[in-house]
Amino acid sequence: MPRLIIDEREIEVPEGTKVIDAAQRLGIVIPRFCYHEALGSVGACRMCAVKFLQGPFKGVQMSCMVDARDGMVVSTTDEEAVQFRQRVIELLMMNHPLDCPVCDEGGQCLLQDETVSGGHARRRFPGPKRTYRDQYLGPYIKHEMNRCIHCYRCSRFYQEFCGYRDLGPLQIGSRMYFGRFSDGPLESPFSGNLVDICPTGVYTDKTARFKLRRWDLQRAPSVCNQCSLGCATVANGHYRGVMRIEARFNRDVNGYFLCDAGRFGFSYANGGQGRRERPLLPRIAGVSASAPSALASAREALENISQKYGPRAIAAAGSNRSSLESQAMLALICKTRDWRGPVFFFDPSERGKTVAAVQELSSDIAVSMREIEKADLVIVAGADPLNEAPMCALAIRQAARKNAPIVTIDSRPLFLPCEFTHFPVAPEKIEHYLAMLVWKAVEKVAENPGKDAEMFCRQLGALSLESAPPEAMAAFSELLLASKRPVIICGTDVTRESTPSFAAGCARLLKCAQKEAGLFFLLPGAGSFGSALLSGTQSQTFGDLVEDIEKGVVRALVVSECDPFHYYPDHARLERAVSKLEQLIAIDYFPSETVERASIFYPASTVFETGSTYINQEGRLRFAQPVHCGGAPISPGEHPPRVYSGLVPGGDHLPAWKALCQIASMPREDGVPAPEKFIPSVLPAFSGLGAGPIYPVDGPRLLSPGPGFTSQWSQRGEEAGEGAPDFELLLVEWMFGTSEFAAWSDSLDAAVCEPHMSINTKDAARAGLSDGDRVSVELDGGAFEIAVSVSERTAEKVLVVPRHQLLDWQKIKGFPVRILAGKIRKI
Amino acid sequence: MLPDELKVKLREVIAAAESPREKAIDVMFEIQELQGWMSDQAMVEAAELLGMTPLELEELATFYDYIYRSPVGKYVIKVCDSTVCWLEGRRRVVDYIASRLAIPMGGTSADGLFTLLPVCCIGYCDRAPAMVINKRVFGNLTPEKIDRILSQLAKNADFSGSE
Repeated sequence: MPRLIIDEREIEVPEGTKVIDAAQRLGIVIPRFCYHEALGSVGACRMCAVKFLQGPFKGVQMSCMVDARDGMVVSTTDEEAVQFRQRVIELLMMNHPLDCPVCDEGGQCLLQDETVSGGHARRRFPGPKRTYRDQYLGPYIKHEMNRCIHCYRCSRFYQEFCGYRDLGPLQIGSRMYFGRFSDGPLESPFSGNLVDICPTGVYTDKTARFKLRRWDLQRAPSVCNQCSLGCATVANGHYRGVMRIEARFNRDVNGYFLCDAGRFGFSYANGGQGRRERPLLPRIAGVSASAPSALASAREALENISQKYGPRAIAAAGSNRSSLESQAMLALICKTRDWRGPVFFFDPSERGKTVAAVQELSSDIAVSMREIEKADLVIVAGADPLNEAPMCALAIRQAARKNAPIVTIDSRPLFLPCEFTHFPVAPEKIEHYLAMLVWKAVEKVAENPGKDAEMFCRQLGALSLESAPPEAMAAFSELLLASKRPVIICGTDVTRESTPSFAAGCARLLKCAQKEAGLFFLLPGAGSFGSALLSGTQSQTFGDLVEDIEKGVVRALVVSECDPFHYYPDHARLERAVSKLEQLIAIDYFPSETVERASIFYPASTVFETGSTYINQEGRLRFAQPVHCGGAPISPGEHPPRVYSGLVPGGDHLPAWKALCQIASMPREDGVPAPEKFIPSVLPAFSGLGAGPIYPVDGPRLLSPGPGFTSQWSQRGEEAGEGAPDFELLLVEWMFGTSEFAAWSDSLDAAVCEPHMSINTKDAARAGLSDGDRVSVELDGGAFEIAVSVSERTAEKVLVVPRHQLLDWQKIKGFPVRILAGKIRKI
Repeated sequence: MLPDELKVKLREVIAAAESPREKAIDVMFEIQELQGWMSDQAMVEAAELLGMTPLELEELATFYDYIYRSPVGKYVIKVCDSTVCWLEGRRRVVDYIASRLAIPMGGTSADGLFTLLPVCCIGYCDRAPAMVINKRVFGNLTPEKIDRILSQLAKNADFSGSE
């Protein structure tokens, strides 16, 4: 480990650390433009010049290009280096329009900072400034090329880091331009990061344009709750509204970046127009009421039901977007009050897969996204990283950039922004293909100690021989045999119930074969891990609840941050069931159909107004601090709330868990129970975390050492034969357009495209369909119309359909969905 | 639209290369030979042939002086824009050509024959001021010499005046 002296202070840094990073460890931030830790060094901007006084280099050098070495003595304040940097910033500022007063970057602009730090104040060059024509880059990014200083950060991020190919450096010399071939929306779903990464205002956030100044914002470390990864964000609030989301650095989770769905999908919190208006006032029987009266009448109604029919006539449901606080409170209420539930899953298969994934994930095989980047082979089995957890696709790309082969085994026509080999297989064949891939690397493990390992290995071997491997598979088996750090990424969306356990078994076997094998699950939502911890393998699902309501066993339903109408596969049946209820009490921040139909509605606060905990899919605690909680003073200075309402200041809505606590009249010792007290009472894993602020914002990973090989996998169900005449309809996630957040955020509308149904080329030919045709798909509960996308990359015998907001898919009645070829008609 | 024969030829050129994109410049020159310049449509089609995105091809095309992304005249006059030619009266040469053809720098004459552009050093410093017209170089330029060259070009496309 080299030791060096920077500005008369000594520091020891790991081998390979650049001098610019070594200085940063001492708290010395050397000016820079092109250098970014995630992108590496190029030495293009010349801004990070320092003087090397002693050691292997002498004189002024770029600190981003030089590795720290023993015996180096570096000065950042040497006159020669200071003058060098001053000249560089003067040159870079020669063409800058100095439009800071109207620039959205103003106040958080690296160029402003470095101009001041470089000591440049007066432009000496008398010539004209070069100017550019800006391009239209889509609904999210505003282009303003005149401000550019040509650091190349944008194109390096866009092309090298993300792997998209429609934004880059054009022209030469003083005409140098960063843009697209022609005007049009950026293709990358990570384009929002350009706003963060550009050191000046070339790319600014269009959704926040002209609305804010950096110094007026209330900022808090938050967590994205739109997928199961739990990426770190900074929420920016202003006038009681969320103005902008920025990426927050977290080494293990998202690194420096964020996907566009997470960045721009916040407008539901501010309330939209018309049907998307956020419900801010409580309602009793459709009439606005005050918060205390709504809570009191809910309490009363539930007590009545409890007295009349017993407490089991009350059921409680949460969802995978509820915070851990809400979920734990629901569990605690059901335990203390003997209500039915809580129910977090909509069907047994979703429950089975999520619970299995959470049980199987142990600290010996779980990997973080950072470790995926370091993998030397990545197997994606039954997962669509780009759509289910976009930042994971970016992590896979980083592995691919280091020449890791990427293999995907899935029914959907996957896309990843890197080179990968896709095996399109039906869901029931995913395990077979995984077995074929893994077998060669683990076949010798069978003699290893451990009866369970041996048994699993034998089963794996048998499975791998069940069908002939495709030609391309052999090469990957060899590569896996030679690999040292393979990672298996397994999803829970289209996979069979046994697949998560099977994938975990494969990872464990690879571990037995002396590999640093890793396992990474993708779960349905931000709250999935928590809900799995709180539900057993036999817990009720929402489908069971509907039956109970129909039977008249359940008379009242309490739903917290959950819209069954969005997820339940049989809309008509749910409608009938709900109308049979005596009470439907909804607590939510979306103006959902459930909220519309509720007999009593209480408006919950969002993640931005509440301190919320999520456990991400690798078991890591993620805590989102509130950015503008009700009743708190609005940053220094006073201004009215952005939206006028009848709310009494300070009387804003409670988080769902506090409201639940009140309507269930939970016993309270001293006011409101604190999450650090009630969460451990239902989740023992939390009891070790101590009192007070129970965990840091970016918390630890809550995983046990590992259950070893489980036999869950061997209990596989029978599958339909290959000759079956029908298709399986797979409902899948899309990055934009399928989530509840997308449904209620008008800021995401521009990114939502028309839904389409993917079908294999051969199946399409048999059915007489071609790409772009519109078809009507007849289901048990009615038909829906959709465009067809034909691809060889879609598995045979499946129809892949997004749970899209523009599609009435809630007619399928139940899972799994089998559709006869004759039910698909071209229109 | 690129003519089919050209596309066939370009496909052959590309197929012979180890990786398609190494032929990007050759492909653009072939198209320019035929069409005079690289239109947006030609860019998109060439990019498709090369397996590149239009943006990636545009990055290359706009980097180089000899690939034209707007229409140019039959003869592209490129006057050297580097130090030695500046010392030897490059400005006078440009002004003379510009007034003779009644076009500004970057313009194309009304008859569509000539386009006037600057070019960075072409290595003819010993014969400065110098210019290149299409693939031919002319040095020691004087008004008389320029007159001779331009009128010969205007008269006869197939000229052989050289220096």
